[in-house]
Amino acid sequence: MDSYDASESTPRQSTSLRPEDYFIGATFLQKRLESVRKQTSFIPTPPRRKIPHCSQLQEDVDPQKVAFLLHKQWTLYSLTPLYKFSYSNLKEYSRLLNAFIVAEKQKGLAVEVGEDFNVKVIFSTVLGIKGTQRDPEAFLVQILSKSQLPSENREGKVLWTGWFCCIFGDSLLETVSEDFTCLPLFLANGAESNTAIIGTWFQKTFDCYFSPLAINAFNLSWMAAMWTACKMDHYVATTEFLWSVPCSPQSLDISYAIHPEDAKAIWDSVHKTPGEVTQEEVDLFMDCLYSHFHRHFKIHLSATRLVRVSTSVASAHTDGKIKILCHKYLIGVLAHLTELAIFQIE
Amino acid sequence: MDETVAEFIKRTILKIPMNELITILKAWDFLSENQLQTINFRQRKESLVQHLVRLCEEKHASLNDAALLDIIYTQFHQHQKIWDVFQMSKGPGNIFSFFFFNKVTVSFRETEENAVWIRIAWGTQYTKPNQYKPTYVVYYSQTPYAFTSSSRLRRNAPLLGQALTVASKHHQIVKMDLRSRYLDSLKAIVFKQYNQIFETHNSTTPLQERNLGLDINMDSRIIHENIAEKERVQQITQETFGDYPQPRLEFAQYKLETKFKSDLNGSILAEREEPLRCLIKFSSPHLLEALKSLAPAGIADAPLSPLLTCIPNKRMNYFKIRDK
Repeated sequence: MDSYDASESTPRQSTSLRPEDYFIGATFLQKRLESVRKQTSFIPTPPRRKIPHCSQLQEDVDPQKVAFLLHKQWTLYSLTPLYKFSYSNLKEYSRLLNAFIVAEKQKGLAVEVGEDFNVKVIFSTVLGIKGTQRDPEAFLVQILSKSQLPSENREGKVLWTGWFCCIFGDSLLETVSEDFTCLPLFLANGAESNTAIIGTWFQKTFDCYFSPLAINAFNLSWMAAMWTACKMDHYVATTEFLWSVPCSPQSLDISYAIHPEDAKAIWDSVHKTPGEVTQEEVDLFMDCLYSHFHRHFKIHLSATRLVRVSTSVASAHTDGKIKILCHKYLIGVLAHLTELAIFQIE
Repeated sequence: MDETVAEFIKRTILKIPMNELITILKAWDFLSENQLQTINFRQRKESLVQHLVRLCEEKHASLNDAALLDIIYTQFHQHQKIWDVFQMSKGPGNIFSFFFFNKVTVSFRETEENAVWIRIAWGTQYTKPNQYKPTYVVYYSQTPYAFTSSSRLRRNAPLLGQALTVASKHHQIVKMDLRSRYLDSLKAIVFKQYNQIFETHNSTTPLQERNLGLDINMDSRIIHENIAEKERVQQITQETFGDYPQPRLEFAQYKLETKFKSDLNGSILAEREEPLRCLIKFSSPHLLEALKSLAPAGIADAPLSPLLTCIPNKRMNYFKIRDK
């Protein structure tokens, strides 16, 4: 993983270090530390990944239905396979979950100020959110406020949305029996209290387990590189990185925004294998950003913590939050997240 | 007393935290001692405020009195505003007179240190001034500097600039690239007062012990491997930042348009003529102290880049950097 040529970077042992020597020595050490830090996650991730592209199945996707998935912030969880879940029972599940929510709220648990007990729960499938035909259908759970007036049949406001999906989940699908439905990626938008209630119901009903999906700096770098690699007709957002510096007693945040065309230019310059992204390329891409920054500010960004990456394709935060901006690469982004979720489950 | 004035006073007093109320009322010096003594400060805030408003009514408080109270509140809560800095100069510029068609409320309060606090509530030709979105200006009369709270009503900015220039008998006004919540720090930077030695600083302790936190009673067989380097870094940091507490800023922003030059691999972007367009923002509750700690922590080289260390000296925290 270390692309450094050892001969030019051995720190010299002379007692009087010239500033340049110190710089080379320090950089070498930095690189070593970086490699070690990356490896401690022990992710058996492929050293190369396909650049996200449109899935062949995406023609089935109803653009209206998936439009609401974009431009929203989702909190990520990994989910173990659901036991004896059936797509033909969705109406029944709606009813049961509805009753559960009402019961929980009447118990006085997780009541928010001004919250209405009149809610309606809807389960629905979302066609086309999958990688291969083997992937189970994605489905959606929504909590809507019910209109107070009996005469009105209008759907109320959507208070909470959660959706379950599986994109290219073969490695997980192969390991489970027929009774299980694998939808390892769960995304939630709305009040935390609702997420907790829904989670409890699912865990009780299908004997599964939710776990918050954090995204570490290593994976954020991969996302930044892959999303920068995506071909875009026009850019809707600048490419931006946020680092948190572990200095005390005052915290320091460094935000580094680069014009998306310039980010793409750097990427194109380091990219060698068409259609694929390799570990080496990701490292080099990030190193270019680090070295440009270091040239101006003499600060080693690699010694700080990458917390957020944002591009015109999507943005991701280390706390496990994601926002997808581009319809074209929705499946690609979800595929990467599914991979992370599956790794967390296994 | 006008209803709008009563409402204005009521809302201003409601903002004041209970533990500051007496101090602020005394500074306002509008209600008499006798009146203040009739107040029960232990009652619920709602009723306390109503009582105070009635007292103001007895004394026929005017809009100007209310504005003065607002100024004092803001003086106590300076950090709630973000302050810009303007520098005025005499010299070739427009000598203009302008006609003020818009209705405004202007109030003044002088403080020590030759500072005048000016409060301006903006209206239009047809509407009364909005008392709830005023602009504040702190002007140091012996200097060409004025500090203004960033106003949400941007259209008034040129008017304000002109008014200041004329009122202070200057001809030109320029906005400096300096901005912060901390008025004291802005002052310290603008008037170059930040390098005062901190009074309680103990300069007799040897540099090593004080800064490196080394325990001199530690076993002498244990040595720090790179102590020479650590000391060098400490020394440079001290020379750059000084021994005194740094003025307080929350951010620094750099707009970079510079070519990419890499030490790693000469071929990356080698043919590219265009610079990389970057916007870099450093944020911290206390930026300069955070930057000061970077080199000793090993996160930055020492000396730190002059782009960062020049901030107090150049009196800027907004920069545009281009290749020469």
